[in-house]
Amino acid sequence: MNATINHGTSKKSGLGIFWRFFSSVKLTIALLVILAAVSVIGTLIPQREGAIDFAMGMNPRLFQVFMSLNLFDIYHSLLFRIILGFLVMNLVVCSIDRFPVTWKLFSYIPSPDKSRIFQDIPTEQTCILSGNSKHILNRIEEFLHKRYGKVFSKKGDKYSSFFVQTGRFSRFGVYIVHFSILLILAGGLVGSLFGFEGYVNIVESDKTDKIHVRGSRQQKNLGFEIRCDRFTVSYYKSGMPKEYKSEITFIVNGKDVKKGTLLVNHPLHFRGITFYQASYGTIPGKKIILRAVMNGKSFSFPVSLQKSVPLPGNGGELLLEDIRDNLVGIGPAVLISILPRHGEKISMWIFKNPALAKSRLPEPMLKSPKFNPSAFRPYTFFLEGVDTVYYTGLQVSKDPGVPIVWAGCVILVTGLFITFFMSHRRIWIRAENHKSGVRVRVAGMANRDPVGLRRHLLKLTDDLRKHVL
Amino acid sequence: MTSSTILSYVTFIYFTGFTLYLLMMVMGKKSFGTAATFVSLAGLVAHSAAIVLRWMESYQLGIGHAPLSNLYESLIFFSWTVTLFYLVVEWRTKNRVLGAFVMPISSLALAYASFSPSVNSRIQPLVPALKSNWLIAHVITCFFSYAAFALSFALSIIYLIKLKNQGAGRAGSFLNRIPDSRVLDELNYQIVIIGFLMLTLGIITGSVWAHSAWGTYWGWDPKETWSLITWLIYASVIHARIARGWEGKRIAVLCIVGFACVIFTYFGVNYLAGLHSYAKS
Ligand code: HEM
Repeated sequence: MNATINHGTSKKSGLGIFWRFFSSVKLTIALLVILAAVSVIGTLIPQREGAIDFAMGMNPRLFQVFMSLNLFDIYHSLLFRIILGFLVMNLVVCSIDRFPVTWKLFSYIPSPDKSRIFQDIPTEQTCILSGNSKHILNRIEEFLHKRYGKVFSKKGDKYSSFFVQTGRFSRFGVYIVHFSILLILAGGLVGSLFGFEGYVNIVESDKTDKIHVRGSRQQKNLGFEIRCDRFTVSYYKSGMPKEYKSEITFIVNGKDVKKGTLLVNHPLHFRGITFYQASYGTIPGKKIILRAVMNGKSFSFPVSLQKSVPLPGNGGELLLEDIRDNLVGIGPAVLISILPRHGEKISMWIFKNPALAKSRLPEPMLKSPKFNPSAFRPYTFFLEGVDTVYYTGLQVSKDPGVPIVWAGCVILVTGLFITFFMSHRRIWIRAENHKSGVRVRVAGMANRDPVGLRRHLLKLTDDLRKHVL
Repeated sequence: MTSSTILSYVTFIYFTGFTLYLLMMVMGKKSFGTAATFVSLAGLVAHSAAIVLRWMESYQLGIGHAPLSNLYESLIFFSWTVTLFYLVVEWRTKNRVLGAFVMPISSLALAYASFSPSVNSRIQPLVPALKSNWLIAHVITCFFSYAAFALSFALSIIYLIKLKNQGAGRAGSFLNRIPDSRVLDELNYQIVIIGFLMLTLGIITGSVWAHSAWGTYWGWDPKETWSLITWLIYASVIHARIARGWEGKRIAVLCIVGFACVIFTYFGVNYLAGLHSYAKS
């Protein structure tokens, strides 16, 4: 494992020093630990958006230091990238450095005739096969060929030797693991170079073709439109939310091209861009219910924004001018104007919660007709309800690196399985002429898992006894 | 009887198991060891039954989901995997000394789940973000890795105790019943490998879930980052062992550090917000 290879570079040259530095596994361990330590710092100092409050309470000198080291965005800082760069160099150089040795171990075929290895083998790795020795030797070779593929043999007068091996590809498991790490890092890089992450809120039955890009004030034009046809929330009996659902249509050049249902954990894809259900909310719609009380009689009626309706009792026309979600902190309010049959136009704000308005608004304001729901005699107006509509909050992202990252993950797991659970087993078999047949002895070597090797050899001996007749 | 009641009994069964393992170790009577194994196994059976029962209870409430959705359920599952792993290792290695160090972990996790007032044991419905098969795969693989690392932690402690008392081994001392240092070291490494593989799978499945729920496979949130830190620590353990040929004490110490990271990933991350507000003032 520690064999060094001559790379044709002199040890003193710049390349030689570089090579020795980066081919060291000590460096690997150091880098892994440094990476862990820097990540710890990143979890102790608030990052990005979360850092604003923290930074405001800081000593300005310290703040300068933090900013210059980019400690508020440590995972995107130069420092972090340099560490990753070193890790990549380390991986590449290490792999190139060791590859020739691995290749030799992979392709080298030792002599089938080895004596030392049969010293001290347990008796269970020996068996006696009775019968014609020539026939038995052929049968052994056939059997080994069926189980292991290529058989290397050396026939002699006194004894014959065979060599077989299995799992020699597992020697490359480590390279697969390390390659997959590079692939995952490459996927991350591709994503940060060619992808984006943004969000958009769309009111039910509205559409848009622009999104906000996260971390910048820019808007981005998607090149197509998205419409939210419907948004629904359902709840469990306990009041916890059960499901958020947006029905979405993608529109290109004014034509509906694709429809889909968007749920949490079930994103929609369109033209390489992925849409996720991220949030929702309500905004006032364009309709209200107003109640007018007049001479002890009460009428409720709907009014739409910027539309006028005749007042009950033929007092004139009523126009709805404005709807506010929350006026001066007192909650929903609407601005209505009365156009009486005779006289001047009167405008007034009607609050959803008149009691709260009375307690909050200053005295002079309450006296002004603008805030008096009874300013137009003999009517008093009440706001019964404001129609609200949902908007759906979508996370919009494009990350062309994702398939690379997933491929890296699959390869990583495969490589780990190969390195940890497979081993290169080399097996020698010696068949000697014996009184009434052939004495067969089995021995082996493996690069890891000695217990597994022993079990393998015992089973092989057993199978030879059973199947070679 | 509800699942929560059974589980609070299992806490005591595990504690009894621990006491028996301890008695076996100190007094050196084999019969205590046999009893300890028997008691722990009985506890595991009751524990498994309680998990299945809880699953069924959630369906009876009309909000059926695998019992892996909150802190209570995760502690229950963690305790279960630790006990299961331990009993498998005991069976494979035919040695019971580890029991005195592992059973307290199972028992404590259950006790914390069952008796801490801050842990809610009610069966709750799933909020939309948690409805995902990837999440189930994520939780299972993560907790298998945590259990493996808990075992490795116990082995490392034993290793260090053995090392410290080397030569002082009087006849009959429990130290003589601890397997040979080399065997401990090898076993520890095997278990770390299983833990590392499971943690790798856990982080990957977690990323897949995050990607399907929020559109980013990696967001550097503290919990995510701490699982990466844990992964890096164990990756360096593997490299130190394979490529540098480190053995014994240094590996044991690294494994203890690794398990501290596991614990911090599991519980400590929740206090990070508190740490922030403290740092601000
Ligand atoms: C960052 C994540 C990394 C992971 C997950 C990883 C994983 C592994 C694994 C699983 C093994 C095999 C252990 C065995 O043979 O059983 C290994 C061995 C090794 N790794 Fe890494 N590795 C990483 C990074 C690196 C880096 C950056 C280097 C660069 C020098 C490196 C150099 C080596 C070497 C030299 C070996 C030993 C190979 C041998 O003995 O033939 N590893 N690594």
